[in-house]
Amino acid sequence: MRSMSIAPEFLGALLAMAAASFFCRAGGFVLMRFVTVTPRLEAGLRAIPIGVMIGIVAPAAISGRVPELLGLGAILGVMTVLRNDVLAALSGVAVVAVARHVLA
Amino acid sequence: MRPAPPFTLAGIRRGFLMAQPLAPGIIVYALVFGVLAAEAKLSTLEAVLMSAGIYSGSAQIAALQSWSGAAHIAPVVAAIIMMNARYILYGAALRPWMGELSPAQTWPSLFFLGDANWAMSLKEEAAGNDDAGFVLGSGLAMFIPWCLGTLAGHLGGRLIGDPAALGLDFMLVAFCAAMALAMWKGRSDLLPAIVAAAVAIGLGLVLSGGWVIVAAGLASAAVGYALHVDRA
Repeated sequence: MRSMSIAPEFLGALLAMAAASFFCRAGGFVLMRFVTVTPRLEAGLRAIPIGVMIGIVAPAAISGRVPELLGLGAILGVMTVLRNDVLAALSGVAVVAVARHVLA
Repeated sequence: MRPAPPFTLAGIRRGFLMAQPLAPGIIVYALVFGVLAAEAKLSTLEAVLMSAGIYSGSAQIAALQSWSGAAHIAPVVAAIIMMNARYILYGAALRPWMGELSPAQTWPSLFFLGDANWAMSLKEEAAGNDDAGFVLGSGLAMFIPWCLGTLAGHLGGRLIGDPAALGLDFMLVAFCAAMALAMWKGRSDLLPAIVAAAVAIGLGLVLSGGWVIVAAGLASAAVGYALHVDRA
């Protein structure tokens, strides 16, 4: 049973991941002493998350088959109508599950 | 620089209570992360520690996608920094208000900072309630359900038989697609998005998943930076 276990090498990775996260949370606060965030720099920083998300989705979309493409379509549809990301994602998963059963 | 604002227990309590409406949404999101972590073969303890240590849903999801074992941590760390780069802006925005607080007040407030409580706190301060304990209290109100939801999701996720039959292997991509659409603010996002997709698909042929994600984020940042037009 591996529920409460922790791999020794995971601890080091966890510390690195937590440090990376806190670096961002504290970084801007500390940096404000030395630099000003220009609107241009802000525009660049703001564009990052959407790029990362697309970096995950685009390869999956290219290699996806019919159920996955239907799932992505459902996500787009639900997001457009309801503007709720959790509901959209869960709808996409449901569509993939149903399509796999029907098309299998 | 303004003098140090008050930082009281009453302010912490007020933030904690006012942020409670956010808790249900956070629990649902945390349940999903718990399931995904179970899929990624993390143990329950590892999943909860990840939520407590990183404390950022989108960064944790990006980390899981970049994860290929603890030995290959560099792309995971890079992905987390990119997903959380917005916090650099959040922290910068808090500086005028909180710049003169003591380190013991500042660091915990920043550690527990999340998207929603940051926005809520700045709204409070703009309304004249400058007790900075609000930031810590509202952060804690989000942190606790985040960790508990991860625990519940992971325990539940392990009971699921065949993940693919339920489409759960698609959940991570589904969430990223939904979040990308939620982040979409208009036509200024179009070109960064197209370039990010092109970079991801092109590099996906030659590189592992973690670095593809990092490259897509950097490409998007570069385009956003280059296209910016100052409205002066």
